[in-house]
Amino acid sequence: MSFFSKSPWILHYDASSCNGCDIEVLACLTPLYDVERFGVVNTGNPKHADILLITGSVNERNIDIIENLYRQMPDPKVVVAVGACACSGGIFARAYNIQGGIDKVLPVDVYVPGCAARPESIIDGVIKGIGALEMKRKKSA
Amino acid sequence: MSSLIVFLVAFPLVIGALLLGVHSGKLRNVIVVLAGLIVAGASIVTAATFGNGNALFFGLPNGLTLGQGLLVVEVLMAAFVLFVSIQNRRVLAPILVLGQLAISFYLELAGKMPEIDAGRLFWFDRLSMVMVLIIGIIGTLICIHSLGYMRDYHRSSPMIKGRRTAFFCLLFVFLGSMFGLVVSNYLPLMLVFWEITTLCSFLLIGYTRTEETIGYAFDALNMNMLGGLAFSGAILLLINGNQTLDLAKLTSGPASAALLPALALLCLAGLTKAAQMPFSRWLLGAMYAPSPTSALLHSSTMVKAGVFLLLRLSPAIAGSDLGTMVAFIGMLTFLFVSLVGLTEQNTKKVLAYSTIGSLGLIVGCAGLGSPELIWVGVMIIIFHALAKGLLFLVVGTIENRFYTKDMENFDTLLSRLPLVSALALVGIAGMFIAPFGVVVAKWTAIRAFLEIPGWQGAALLVIMAFGSSFTIFYWGKLLIKVLSMKSVTEYERSIQKRISSFEWIAEIALAAGVLAVTFFLAAISEQVVGPFALATFKGTSQSFLHVEPVMLATMIVAVLFLPVLALWASRHENYNMSDFYAAGRPVTNGNVVGMALGGTRAVTLRNYYLEGVVNGQLVFRAGTTICAALLIAALAAGMVGR
Amino acid sequence: MNPIVYAVLFVLLAPVFGGLLAGIDRIASARMQSRVGPPLLQPFYDLGKLLQKDARQVNPLVEPLLLGHVGFMAATGAMLVGGVDLIFVAFVFALAALFLVLAAGTVNSPYSFTGAERELVVLLAAEPFFILMLAAICKVTDASSYQGVLSSAVMVAPKLPGVLLAFTFVATIKLRKSPFDISTSHHAHQELVSGLTSDMSGRLLAYVEMAHWYESAILASFVILFFNWSVPLGLLAFAVIYAAEVLVDNSTSRAKWQLVLRSTWAVTLLLAGGNVLALFLLK
Repeated sequence: MSFFSKSPWILHYDASSCNGCDIEVLACLTPLYDVERFGVVNTGNPKHADILLITGSVNERNIDIIENLYRQMPDPKVVVAVGACACSGGIFARAYNIQGGIDKVLPVDVYVPGCAARPESIIDGVIKGIGALEMKRKKSA
Repeated sequence: MSSLIVFLVAFPLVIGALLLGVHSGKLRNVIVVLAGLIVAGASIVTAATFGNGNALFFGLPNGLTLGQGLLVVEVLMAAFVLFVSIQNRRVLAPILVLGQLAISFYLELAGKMPEIDAGRLFWFDRLSMVMVLIIGIIGTLICIHSLGYMRDYHRSSPMIKGRRTAFFCLLFVFLGSMFGLVVSNYLPLMLVFWEITTLCSFLLIGYTRTEETIGYAFDALNMNMLGGLAFSGAILLLINGNQTLDLAKLTSGPASAALLPALALLCLAGLTKAAQMPFSRWLLGAMYAPSPTSALLHSSTMVKAGVFLLLRLSPAIAGSDLGTMVAFIGMLTFLFVSLVGLTEQNTKKVLAYSTIGSLGLIVGCAGLGSPELIWVGVMIIIFHALAKGLLFLVVGTIENRFYTKDMENFDTLLSRLPLVSALALVGIAGMFIAPFGVVVAKWTAIRAFLEIPGWQGAALLVIMAFGSSFTIFYWGKLLIKVLSMKSVTEYERSIQKRISSFEWIAEIALAAGVLAVTFFLAAISEQVVGPFALATFKGTSQSFLHVEPVMLATMIVAVLFLPVLALWASRHENYNMSDFYAAGRPVTNGNVVGMALGGTRAVTLRNYYLEGVVNGQLVFRAGTTICAALLIAALAAGMVGR
Repeated sequence: MNPIVYAVLFVLLAPVFGGLLAGIDRIASARMQSRVGPPLLQPFYDLGKLLQKDARQVNPLVEPLLLGHVGFMAATGAMLVGGVDLIFVAFVFALAALFLVLAAGTVNSPYSFTGAERELVVLLAAEPFFILMLAAICKVTDASSYQGVLSSAVMVAPKLPGVLLAFTFVATIKLRKSPFDISTSHHAHQELVSGLTSDMSGRLLAYVEMAHWYESAILASFVILFFNWSVPLGLLAFAVIYAAEVLVDNSTSRAKWQLVLRSTWAVTLLLAGGNVLALFLLK
């Protein structure tokens, strides 16, 4: 039996988001949405996390941080890109310092659209991420 | 037996004199090692000859008598103290020494000295045996260690003039006089040995002859001479009261009111030598001396002489107000110095506070006096001598490699000096890791405190609960520092290879001793310490150490766990399996973090010293004041015979 | 029954007890914040996942030290109910806690290290109390072992009200409750990332959780000592104390270590020490 679907711990990283998506991510923890129902914990620490949840796009200065955080997460792990910027760069895509979406650096498993992404769709993305987590575990096992 | 004892006392003195004339390093090495082996061997033979365990009393062999010998030695020592005091313009020391000399001459010239019972000059029982073994074996190892240590010490501090001939001479004189002290039964004889140790420690502490160390040396001299003066005073009181000068007779049972004034003065002497508050300062100053000196003063000799005397006095003072107050001085010292130790960053000073604390426990046990508590006191002496001796030597070795005593610079020690770290871990485990050694003693002490009625029992429990918790904190900090790792360079790896074999031999032997004592804990308790406690207090036969097999197993696992782990981990080449979390910044080499705007910086981690919560200096001063008040009260109680 | 049976039962059942307690705790906390909260068995799911996950080792010391932590924690509990001398148990309890500090302190990370130092402060704050508590219980009942206290004719709690009150206070930190900057508390947002567990992943973190469950069971066993006439009463008392802790946890989330150290010492000295003094004077 696998416990991954029942205990997804999340690391939330704000790449270069406008904070719109971040507020929606935190809203998921509030009584209205209460993602802890699904065993989700917002860990703030890559070494404890299963799901890397990134808002905002990749820029020159945070590439290596994103890579390091991802590298420090123990396997199996998945990446969920939340919001238009994380998916593609969004309206900042052509700014001088922006590289683009998260998939320029990391293998993204789930794309959550929206500007800002709604809590419902973020939770939906996390649930899809759990599916990907299970698949990765089976593949490695 | 009698000739063995005389050999134990005289042989180190002769070797000491001989070493004064030896300037060649190699010859000195040979003499020190050989003489050390002979001393250690003689102490073991002495212990082995002491068969059935009944106390022995004897005099000098071949009908020799002391004659005026004691007085001659006293005059010589006084002359020397006067000379150095004038040289360094000190006032207090001459006053004290002249006072003491005046008492001796008064007694001699007034013809008051009673007949000496030539057959009862010496007293050898299980406590003397334990002490002789500690001095003989641990003392010797420290001497051997010094051969390596002093070489590196002078290499690393070329400003200090080498006086190694004198240094090694003093070490051996120290050992000889300690042997004499722990087997003396005739008080004036003990006093002479007592004063020789005082003088030796004065010279050893002032070894570097800088202004600072000379100051500390005089601190030690003054405080210990005060104790010596009190000792003389006690002898004066005893003679004036037509009482015996025979220690064994004096302490054969609860003392009568007429004896208590003299016993109070003897307690004062013991407290000064054991560096209890308000006299703790001299032992802290002694930390500025070379590390083997600290090891010698702290683990096997000097301070142990103080607690030895108090343990001897224990049956006489137990139950009196004097005894209770002495016990509280010890226990409060334990509490206060443990608290001060939390705020101290200098490793040697932390060890010093821990020593004073352990001695405080012993003093507490001696003052209260019961078979269990005496058992505890002697057990602490044994464990403390081995573990603390080892720790001082290890810190000395580290100091000579990295030129620092600061605990904070011991970072990543395990990677830099793996074997030394493992030895340090054995020592730390010996001092405090829960179910071992001193802690077994603490546990038995708590059991005994539960039986003490009234407010005293409650106060002792509270002191013990807090005091022993404080020690966890500083040992924990030291453990954290010793156990941290990083990738080491080829150069750093080579440092350990430059430690001399003298140091290795001494440290490994002491570590083996710590482990051996743990394994044979039950045997030592049943064969030596238990019978001693029962003989001292004439109690009923009982078992002191309620060690169940589970406990013994726990102890052994706990003791071996960290050193074995350390050795295993240091051989684990590819340990750096993953970098630590540094907010996403890259980490290299196990402790270097990339900075946000380029460049890198090594992580520096600093322990907590409870700034803003505990003020070490204030606590020390408060402790000194409280204990000084208690001491005055104790002396007053003794003087009125309570 | 043979005490060894109790010891074995403790080792086997204490994690179940501790895990369920953690589950109830999380639901209760959620309800206090008008959320639904996770399932009751969530702590076990978390543990199972951690054991299935990869473990990143920072240095070879961490895992053995954590195993020592769990091992000595389990041994403390086993010795406690297995009838070993209570005061000896108090020392092993401190040793067990120390191993966690060492495991975190050996990591060069500022987060782990600071977490370890603060955990050491917690140990320093709580340890005097536990020695004093067990000594007082021995004094009241004239017993030296768990079974001895349980079969004593004297009921402990009425004789040691101050000590019991102090226990409620000290348990707050031992149960990893209130103090906010003592990083082991179970709060989402902390000063030090995850404090001393920052660099422990996968099964390493699982060991820490397991040890904490043992610790909860040991604390419950301590409470039973106070209500030695009836084990169910003791468990009920523990439930009440625990509920109080959860409330404290959710209402005072900003206590700092300096405050915790000072107040715990004061409480130990005044409440527990005063109680012990009264006990010695009256007996």
